Amino acid sequence: MEYFFLLIDLMIFSFFQNNLSWLLFINIAAGSFVYKFLIKDYSQEFKDKVISPLVSEIDKNLIYKKDVHVEEFKFINSRLFPEIPDKLEGNDYISGIIDNVKIELSDLHAKKKHTNSHGKDNWSTIFQGLFIVSQFNKNFSGSTVVLPDIAQNSFGNLIGSWLQSHNSNRGELIKMDSPEFEKEFVVYGNNQIEARYILTNSLMQKLLEFKKKSRHNLYVSFVFNHIYIAIDYGRDLFEPSVFKALLEYKVAIEYIKTLHLAIGVVEELKLNKKLWSKL
Amino acid sequence: MLIILIIVVVIFLVLILMYNSLISKKNQVQNIFASVDAILKKRYNLIPNLVASVQEYMKHEKSILEDITKLRAEANKPNISDEQKINLDYKVSSALHSIMVAVENYPNLKANENVMYLQRSLNEIEEQISAARRAYNQAVTDYNNATEMFPTNFMASFMRYNPKKVFEIQDNERKNVNVKDLFEK
Repeated sequence: MEYFFLLIDLMIFSFFQNNLSWLLFINIAAGSFVYKFLIKDYSQEFKDKVISPLVSEIDKNLIYKKDVHVEEFKFINSRLFPEIPDKLEGNDYISGIIDNVKIELSDLHAKKKHTNSHGKDNWSTIFQGLFIVSQFNKNFSGSTVVLPDIAQNSFGNLIGSWLQSHNSNRGELIKMDSPEFEKEFVVYGNNQIEARYILTNSLMQKLLEFKKKSRHNLYVSFVFNHIYIAIDYGRDLFEPSVFKALLEYKVAIEYIKTLHLAIGVVEELKLNKKLWSKL
Repeated sequence: MLIILIIVVVIFLVLILMYNSLISKKNQVQNIFASVDAILKKRYNLIPNLVASVQEYMKHEKSILEDITKLRAEANKPNISDEQKINLDYKVSSALHSIMVAVENYPNLKANENVMYLQRSLNEIEEQISAARRAYNQAVTDYNNATEMFPTNFMASFMRYNPKKVFEIQDNERKNVNVKDLFEK
């Protein structure tokens, strides 16, 4: 193979009458073309050969589609991010029914377009990371949104909680009775009792553990008998590259761990389903 | 002259804000208590059905069944105070708990579909009551803080607002109900 490239290089060298810069230029162009071709192939193959079987290993009912993502209306219905995205991209879609509970998740990248005074478009990121949708076991009519507690962490308790209680477009501020949970999250909703009906002590504990394990900002909402979880990774979760094979192996492990976590939460909810089933 | 006027206006505005915030906190407590009451009533309505389904089998637990029927009658009386309602709720919760534990001793009862349905309903209502209690306690805590903290405490004592009692969350409520214990024994 190397002899073949060397032979071509020699031919080009003689063709351009010993002009070195031409040779360099053509080599770089060819190289980047071959790299792009390779990485595309590599990443696709990695997904087919490694991720897909790993996903079905977690649960046989799970289906993996590498080029699909969670639909836009679900992202909007979650009410997690008030801005409506102008562009929604994503991949690595997984869906399935685990013990009668429907679950789907994928990488998502929601972007907002801003046009400046010169008519030039700028894109800002609303959310990038893993997005999970699942049925929820309890019946409720309102919406409850759990967000990372940014205000209280950055402005302290007094000003932070004042700011939180005046975030009117999110609904009523709901103070939870777990200090650890309150430290990490802020809860908004339209019904004080319903929010506590959903966020039992054990579920709050689960979300705290989830947050600790995933070590990224966690957004959770409960809207019309569905739970939406968004984990803010700030990057495409799983895109392997040729040069970082070993590192990407770690990424694959992390990806599978995250999947386990997400499915674990859903299974936890499902467990209660028999007990609190619709009456 | 103008400065005095401004000071008077500012003081007046602060007083209005304090007054309104106290009123809204008191109303929040009342609103949530109304919801607590509604859910408690739902549970009281299940009691006659439960008693009717289990009394044939439960010969040894007759006294508990009589107690719970009495408690229900008491709770349904008009004009009982919020504090009394809270106290009744404790008693009813523990009586129901003993009945549910006793059901475990009767295989026929456990397998009875009606009893199973009632168990599920009671568990569901128990969850709702627990949520309502937590919401009520938070509202009462906010209200109590306002009545006891400076400077709203002056306004509160002027308006004759006194601290209110919260529901005590019992230890057995904090635990998750074990599905296996209920259905798979």
